Amino acid sequence: MNLEKVIFGFFVILACTLNTGFFIGEIDVIYQHNATELFLALGISVVVMVLKLGDRTQIGALQLATSLAVVLQLILSCFVWVWQTQVSGQPMDAETMSTIVSLSGGALLANVISVILLIGETLRQTR
Amino acid sequence: MEPFFLILRRLRRPLLALIGTAIISVLGLANIPGVDANGNPAILGYFHAFYVMTFTATTVGFGEEPYAFSEAQRLWVIFSICISVTSWAYTLAVIFHMTRDPTFRAAILRSHFSTRVRRQTEPFILVIGYGQSGTVLAQMLDRIGYKSVIVELQADRVARIETQEYLRAPLFVAADGRWPETLVDAGVTHPQCQAMVVLAGDDDTTQAVAIGGSTLNPNLRIIARARSEMAVANLESFQRIEIVNPYETFAFNLGQDFSSPEKLRVREWLTGLPGAKRPTVLKLPIGHWVICGFGRFGHYVAKALTRADASWTAIDNNPELAAEPSLLQKTYSQETLSEAGIERAVGIVACTDRDAINLAAIRRARVLNRDLFVVVRQMHASNASLVEATNADLRFIQADVTSHEVRQLITSPLLSRFLQALRADTGDLAQRTSAQLEATVEDRVPFLWVFRCMEAFPGLREAFAYNPEAPLKIGDLLVYPYDPSRNLQAMALMLVRSNEEVLLPEAHTILQTGDHILFAGTKDVDVLQKLHYLSPSPLPLIRTGVEPPRSWVFRKLAAWRTAAR
Repeated sequence: MNLEKVIFGFFVILACTLNTGFFIGEIDVIYQHNATELFLALGISVVVMVLKLGDRTQIGALQLATSLAVVLQLILSCFVWVWQTQVSGQPMDAETMSTIVSLSGGALLANVISVILLIGETLRQTR
Repeated sequence: MEPFFLILRRLRRPLLALIGTAIISVLGLANIPGVDANGNPAILGYFHAFYVMTFTATTVGFGEEPYAFSEAQRLWVIFSICISVTSWAYTLAVIFHMTRDPTFRAAILRSHFSTRVRRQTEPFILVIGYGQSGTVLAQMLDRIGYKSVIVELQADRVARIETQEYLRAPLFVAADGRWPETLVDAGVTHPQCQAMVVLAGDDDTTQAVAIGGSTLNPNLRIIARARSEMAVANLESFQRIEIVNPYETFAFNLGQDFSSPEKLRVREWLTGLPGAKRPTVLKLPIGHWVICGFGRFGHYVAKALTRADASWTAIDNNPELAAEPSLLQKTYSQETLSEAGIERAVGIVACTDRDAINLAAIRRARVLNRDLFVVVRQMHASNASLVEATNADLRFIQADVTSHEVRQLITSPLLSRFLQALRADTGDLAQRTSAQLEATVEDRVPFLWVFRCMEAFPGLREAFAYNPEAPLKIGDLLVYPYDPSRNLQAMALMLVRSNEEVLLPEAHTILQTGDHILFAGTKDVDVLQKLHYLSPSPLPLIRTGVEPPRSWVFRKLAAWRTAAR
């Protein structure tokens, strides 16, 4: 067993699961989407991105690209949240929540691709 | 589509009869007066008439729909049943007759075959002729990883294929390879067709097929077995046709056994059926030889003996042979054998074209001289056990010799180059090769493959670009890629760099891009070795025994842990 693989796999999958957890629920129902969960998803995604830095293999490059997409999407979605509640000073409404959740949905897709790459590489190694 | 139209054409008359009866019966039933459920006069109409006829004509019989028929309608239905059932029976009879018709079945099989060949996505080799040589060859190709497409004229031989064991089931058809359509159906112009091997029974057919194939696809590699000088001369004028002459090869092998037996042994070892037992050394004695049967094969043997400075006397009872000083044109009796000098001879070559005569000649010769070295030619595979019972020192089986030759040509051009170098070698290359083979594959025939150092492979690009201080060596390719403490059962036979050849390269030889290495080893070792093509390369693991951390964070972590320790 390789410790690096365990840690790496753990963070990649955790990022994906947190992202999924935030995403599920009606898109415009505010209480179905948890702010802490979004925050954790963003945090773990950044950790994953850092873990992927410096891998010179081909598959490593693609892995990093998926993480960049995830982080970008999640930052945008957090930014929308902060703008609505702090900068504009309005209460959260269904329209804004829809934007936030759909952005996190895009991040989820990139996270799924990342997990697929992880599985693909593992399968190839045990051929 | 072709068999579909063929079926339609055969069924034209029964179909016409069916349609005709349907028209007549529906027309009648639709217009004959009847009464409805309330007793009012009514006719059935075309829709209901057709509905009733569909189940009446096929004898399903739902009853009288939509309401009870009048007597006139019932009369018509009786008539309709008579004509429609008759025409159905007629149709079925024609269909059964057709499916039992051998020409029709052949056409169906043929179209099935050509469709399957057309859909082939993996590389295959076309084998024309499935006699003894074809059988041995197809099995050899199967072992070294090629699918074969087989064309054979005799249906019973083709039927045999289905009962034989293959990893990749061959596609086959019973057809005449001399017909261009057959060759096209069998994939002679298919992009995945790697080569065509022609092993027809006689040289005339072989010529026709080989030349036909070469005309249809001038870029295709064609390997033809030819034994007569005329056929060889004809085929040699085609650039892409390579000729295998088992008689000449065998005689050449005999000659090489006299001069350098170790070279012959290595050659046979590398070209045998992979995984089978390795061949033994012969050590033919030099002295006087008696040749029974002086046909084409006998001539080749005699030439080889002359070249090796051995004397010989031939015996043949064919009166049409040209007279020659050391040829006795007599029967193979004990007197003739004595006259040929069997008492003082060191060996006998029994090579008439009849197994029984060969066996008898050997028996008589052994009575006169017990210590003869016996070389016997085996004509038919079915006589193998009889020929084996003679305990001959060497058997000439055309199928084996041919398949060895073809494997040489097909495996890789690198193998041919290695064998040429072996032939030209004046040092101890043969001894060194056989010692290394012994250590690698013990007493088995090795599998052969080529490792290509191309930078297009991501794993190799890493190995070449990131490790300038510890470059990739041949030895790295011989380590088990998941566990560096074990070695792969493989050895490097030859390294080719641009046009330079390095025979038996050492493990510390540094590789460059563009190098090709011919390896010999046990089964599936090449799969493990090809992990080097993939990214991430197994090279760091091989070097250090641990998988290196791949990203920046883990590298820092590893450095920190090492420092702490």
